[in-house]
Amino acid sequence: MKKILLSCLLGLPVLGYAQSFQVNLQGQKQTAMGGAGTGLALDEAAVFFNPGAVSFLKKNGVQAGISPLYLKTAFRENGSNVTEYNKDKIATPIMGYAVFGSPENRLRFGLGIYTPFGGAMHWKEDWTGRYSVISLDLQAIYIQPTISLKITDHIGIGGGLVYSLGKVDLKKALPYTLNDGRQSTAELKGNSKDFGWNAGIYVETVSGVSIGVTHRSQVTATVKNGDANFDVPDAIRSRVPTKFGAKLPLPATTTLGLGYSPSEKTTLAFDVNWVHWSKYKELGFDYNNNFVSPPSPRNYHDAAALRFGIQNQTTNRLALRAGIGYAFTPVGEGYVTPEVPDANRLLLSAGIGFKASEKFHIDFSFLYENVEKRKETNIETQLAGEFKTLAYIPGISFSYKF
Amino acid sequence: MNSKYIFRSMIAVAILGMASCKPELSDISPSKGTADFSRYIAIGNSLTSGYADNGLYLEGQKNSFPEMIAGQMKSVGGGAFYTPFFKDSEADGSGYKILTGFTAAGLPIIGDQNAHTAYRTTTPPKLFTKYVGEINNYGVPGIKLAHINIPQYGNLNNYFERMLPTDYPNNNNTTYLNFVTAKPFTFFSMWLGNNDILGYATTGGADPTDQPTPKAAFASLYTAAADVMTKDKAKGVVATIPDVLATPFFNTVTLSSLLAAVHATAPTINALYIKTGQNATRAATAKDYFVLPLASANLIGTGAIPYGLSPFNPIESQWVLDQDEAAIVADYVSAYNNTIKSVAASKGLAVVDAYALLKEYGAGKVVNGVPISAAYITGNLFSLDGIHLTPMGYALVANEFIRAINGKYGSSIPVVDVTRYRGVKFP
Repeated sequence: MKKILLSCLLGLPVLGYAQSFQVNLQGQKQTAMGGAGTGLALDEAAVFFNPGAVSFLKKNGVQAGISPLYLKTAFRENGSNVTEYNKDKIATPIMGYAVFGSPENRLRFGLGIYTPFGGAMHWKEDWTGRYSVISLDLQAIYIQPTISLKITDHIGIGGGLVYSLGKVDLKKALPYTLNDGRQSTAELKGNSKDFGWNAGIYVETVSGVSIGVTHRSQVTATVKNGDANFDVPDAIRSRVPTKFGAKLPLPATTTLGLGYSPSEKTTLAFDVNWVHWSKYKELGFDYNNNFVSPPSPRNYHDAAALRFGIQNQTTNRLALRAGIGYAFTPVGEGYVTPEVPDANRLLLSAGIGFKASEKFHIDFSFLYENVEKRKETNIETQLAGEFKTLAYIPGISFSYKF
Repeated sequence: MNSKYIFRSMIAVAILGMASCKPELSDISPSKGTADFSRYIAIGNSLTSGYADNGLYLEGQKNSFPEMIAGQMKSVGGGAFYTPFFKDSEADGSGYKILTGFTAAGLPIIGDQNAHTAYRTTTPPKLFTKYVGEINNYGVPGIKLAHINIPQYGNLNNYFERMLPTDYPNNNNTTYLNFVTAKPFTFFSMWLGNNDILGYATTGGADPTDQPTPKAAFASLYTAAADVMTKDKAKGVVATIPDVLATPFFNTVTLSSLLAAVHATAPTINALYIKTGQNATRAATAKDYFVLPLASANLIGTGAIPYGLSPFNPIESQWVLDQDEAAIVADYVSAYNNTIKSVAASKGLAVVDAYALLKEYGAGKVVNGVPISAAYITGNLFSLDGIHLTPMGYALVANEFIRAINGKYGSSIPVVDVTRYRGVKFP
């Protein structure tokens, strides 16, 4: 496990989506419950889901998990009889959490490493939309040290500083044909290091309903001095850039979560996310060498996601989980792009938790995402056709309580 | 439990399971509608043959719009389609132009590709190696509508002679129209008429042997051709004539670009003088069109009386389509196109409005992320000769033909992927 985790951290291509390029795979229990969990003090992943609930966790623990993501998109140009698919590419978003400090104390500490944004979309080099994108690898890994304070026995607040490590690798074709018949390409590769924060409040009401409210701030991933590798004919080589800079908003998310236990064994969770996508107006790149390329309009709008999950502690060792969710797309008509062929999506999830011992737990989840068919014409590129995406995301995590 | 084992088996199961659950798009049902594509023939001129870069060569032939259409017709019952390809060893065909680089000022340097041409004679009339075999693409560069009933045409056009069994100069009894209709066909495309005005325009109206085909003659010839093509109930598609004045051939070299070049050495010059079609000498205006080859002729400012800079040594008529000549071109194109549309309507044929199509794309349009315009070299639409199209341009035309056919006959020929075809090649 350590090895796997390590190799991921060292930069295996990571990622897939849940809403545009937001990834919602931050805890296996929560993923199995439709991605809900902000209104619960469920496990160490509360560092992400609600820092205010961390101080309510009954035990300390460490947790590490991975959700290999398989996403398949089909595209057919209007009027064509050819369906094109993206390449098979397993993205592997990882998550790891630690919670420490004495459970009797009001003040607890946490550390989270998770992947809230990313994408790994690889089309064939000669596909119809290659002048929009051939491949995009995008990832932002957030590292979040956290403190959580139980203000009263029923109210907890918490917050964490987010240090974001971003990475982008975008490749597209350019409409210059070389003498050997090859197409020109441009590849942009860069890294970013940025800060943000995550804060939450957790309240256990007398009615038995627990409430969580969290806000994860926007992080503006800023690439400076990235490498622009233009593979172009010699005749125009002197006119293309070698470096680029870019800013990509990783939007803020505000969440209201409710939790309720109708019986000792059953827990319900309901989350509403409001993702502040409207900050994503355009994707622009600044180049050196006086090379100007107009920014690509995105004009996203804010979008909600609804998530409902249930957990049943069937036996002392075995917990069963299920969930359902619906995420509204932030991408308006005319702005669907093949690097993120987004649309409204239905989420169905299930999972099991297994206590190997009091200290050692294993959780499995499986998430199915059905992204609605979407047929339209992109305003910028005029790429016109129908997209359909399905994603299958199994996941596993190991946790050790102490 | 071994965590690695669990992880690996989960991945393995996941990949196996998921690979079989691909996303599905809405169903499509191929249909030929009311047409029969079992033998499609394409008749026309250079645009039908795949001519590009001032020549007909193998790559251009392979990227002709009839080849593309025929390939797409296969899914709705289309039969085999044969283009009279040049042999691989003679792939340069007639020879053609290539882009070899740019000058320091950013102007294109155009070179010749003629290492493997397909000529069987070296002295005029230069004749091509004969093509022997089936033909579906009867595109003959240079042919006018006015030529289709000339019995000796095989002696006048080496591209036509190449297709005929008899050698020059003994082709005295085979008209183009008879030759193409000799074998039964079920569907045709006919894109003729461009050369009836093109030669007049590209020679600046200065060639007395290449004057516009009279409008009335054009109308009667077009009607007669349509009668012949449809006499055995074949269905078909015809196309209008593109606006020659909107091509890079007439819009790359302009009064302002010429003056800008002159200003490098003679900043006080503000007028260029031309000889009009009426044999008058006057200062050029922005309404006069200069032809593309003037750029590489390197004439302006040369001579004891600087060429073009003085009314005593004006730019000759062959380099300029003056305002009055341009009006003649526009008038003839418009009249020809009215004829084409009305004949198509009376015969129930599908029509591609190539005039509108190339005007629309020429004005600037993005296609699947590729900027298309009538700009020379960078516009992706026109090849290096500034008149004929690039493979990408021909693909746009092919799709317009397909849409017109589908619209008229209720068929569902799939469109081609335009991005698979190139624009101009860069060194």
